[in-house]
Amino acid sequence: MLRKLLKHEFRATGRVMLPMYLILLVTALGSNLAGRGMMNGHSDILNTLAVIIVMAFGIAICGVLVMSFVLMIQRFYKNLLQDEGYLMFTLPVSVHQHIWSKLIVSAVWFAATILAIIAASLVVAYDVSFLREFFDVLRWFFEGLQKLKISETLNLTAYLAEFAVLLFLSLAAFALQFYAALAAGHSRANHKMVWSVAWFFGFQFALQFLGSLLMITLDHLGVPNFLNHLSVHWTSAESAIHAGLLMAIGVVILYGAIFYAVTTFFLKKHLNLE
Amino acid sequence: MPVLECKGLTKRFGRVSALDEVELTIEPGRIVGLLGPNGSGKTTLIKLANGLLTPDGGYIAVCGAAPGRESHGLVSYLPERTAIPTWMTARQLLDFYGDFYQDFRRDAAEEMLDHLGIQPRQAVKQMSKGTREKVQLIMVMSRAARLYLLDEPIGGVDPATRDYILSTIIGNYNPEAAVVISTHLIADVEKVLDEVIFISQGRVALQSTVDDIREEKGMSVDALFREVFKC
Amino acid sequence: MQWQFSNDAPIYTQLIQQVKVGIVTGAFPPGERLPSVRDLATEAGVNPNTMQRALAELERDGLVYSQRTAGRFVTEDNTMINAAKRSLAQRHVKTFLEAMLQLGFQKEEIIDLISRELGEEESDHASA
Repeated sequence: MLRKLLKHEFRATGRVMLPMYLILLVTALGSNLAGRGMMNGHSDILNTLAVIIVMAFGIAICGVLVMSFVLMIQRFYKNLLQDEGYLMFTLPVSVHQHIWSKLIVSAVWFAATILAIIAASLVVAYDVSFLREFFDVLRWFFEGLQKLKISETLNLTAYLAEFAVLLFLSLAAFALQFYAALAAGHSRANHKMVWSVAWFFGFQFALQFLGSLLMITLDHLGVPNFLNHLSVHWTSAESAIHAGLLMAIGVVILYGAIFYAVTTFFLKKHLNLE
Repeated sequence: MPVLECKGLTKRFGRVSALDEVELTIEPGRIVGLLGPNGSGKTTLIKLANGLLTPDGGYIAVCGAAPGRESHGLVSYLPERTAIPTWMTARQLLDFYGDFYQDFRRDAAEEMLDHLGIQPRQAVKQMSKGTREKVQLIMVMSRAARLYLLDEPIGGVDPATRDYILSTIIGNYNPEAAVVISTHLIADVEKVLDEVIFISQGRVALQSTVDDIREEKGMSVDALFREVFKC
Repeated sequence: MQWQFSNDAPIYTQLIQQVKVGIVTGAFPPGERLPSVRDLATEAGVNPNTMQRALAELERDGLVYSQRTAGRFVTEDNTMINAAKRSLAQRHVKTFLEAMLQLGFQKEEIIDLISRELGEEESDHASA
């Protein structure tokens, strides 16, 4: 059933995101042409037009980024907590599947957005000489890699992978904080949105409070010294960075898991559609 | 086995009891009217049967099990509000129901949509309010469910649409299934019902068959309702 | 067929009456198959179980009979249809008389009124 939820979730979101990508591509193409025009042309009107197109491209980038974020929250709110919730929560589907479908689809769109922005930027920069430059850079990069030891190459890729995972998990966890606040706020009979905002800031406050509390406790226990002491014995600085990244991932998973639990609790036990 | 059973069912919102120790049983093959003034607890009862609310006390069972993922496959629910996503086209809506409900009779739905002159490519957004309600009802009645829970299916529509909705309900009658229609427009549904349940201030005030009421009291259910709920 | 219901009697007894009228007036001709319960219920806008109950009652009276697979048929027995016609007529006369007596008419006055009404109708027909 999760697969079917995903299918319809992609249908619902695709009709917003795909046109956004199209706009991005069109403005990127325009900017490319405008760039060439500006270099060659002397007409004021054409120059102004070129500036406008390039600005439109900038706005399109912001727009697509903002939209993939807004959609992540808006789909949860509109599809599950508004009128459509009557349909969605009476499907033979579990609450967990609902949350996962929303998270997975949002994550995919984020990844797609990042790729689309990279692709669009390449389009803007594209030139006859550009291809050669691009491959020069690639060659330089790979030559650089070859100079590194195998272990260093592996480390570098591992950092990137870990960082990407961390980024996506943070995003998902952040989305879950929104979901939890919306689910909690909408369990109230009235002023659902006001309560949701209040819950969100309540969560934020609790997180910061717990965070600082944790820091202070760790400090009191002498953990930083202990870590410093430990790091001396670690084989290399690389492992320390890995440990740091992995620990960050662990913390983000914990942060996401808490809000996941809060979201499912409210959706299962205290659903109260208007 | 009853398709819907409540024992001591209680639901509170804050300090107000929306339902108070409700006892009722609905057997398959019956079309039952859930009748009561606004705010008497009809919608709360239907939401509880759909698992959209959780009871504060007592017990509610659909085909012998507590409302949940399994019961959702057996219950076809028409909410009071238009819940079908408005961006979908008629065809996407058919896909949606077909994907999630094994008992969805797509050909029956297509025939009914065609009868109304709705094109598969037409979006719900482009339909009038009355048409949206008809489309939603078609989706709900095209399932071969065990229990149909229709919350105010004829409220807020014109008399012709009302007739269409009622004849759609009769035309899809299945002796294995029960239909529950909640409404305060009793005169319009009376002839369609086997049984009526009067709900008053969160309690069951009466459960009887329409013809028993007419035989014993010599008045229509509508007239009896007006008498019972006189202000 | 026109289906109309009053508020004071059970719906199934009203259905029995109306199907009888249908049979007597030839809307459901002798020996013909009746529509299915569901179709009849949809047409009359009534509960299918109530329609089923009314037809079962008519079957017990012998006005309709069912063949296991083919469905329900109107009887071909004309004496039975005529009897039904008579009983329907008697009901109408009875309610008419009750209303007249309530208005304070005597037997003779009623007969007089009826024959005058019938006479006028006849002369209407003759002049036309």
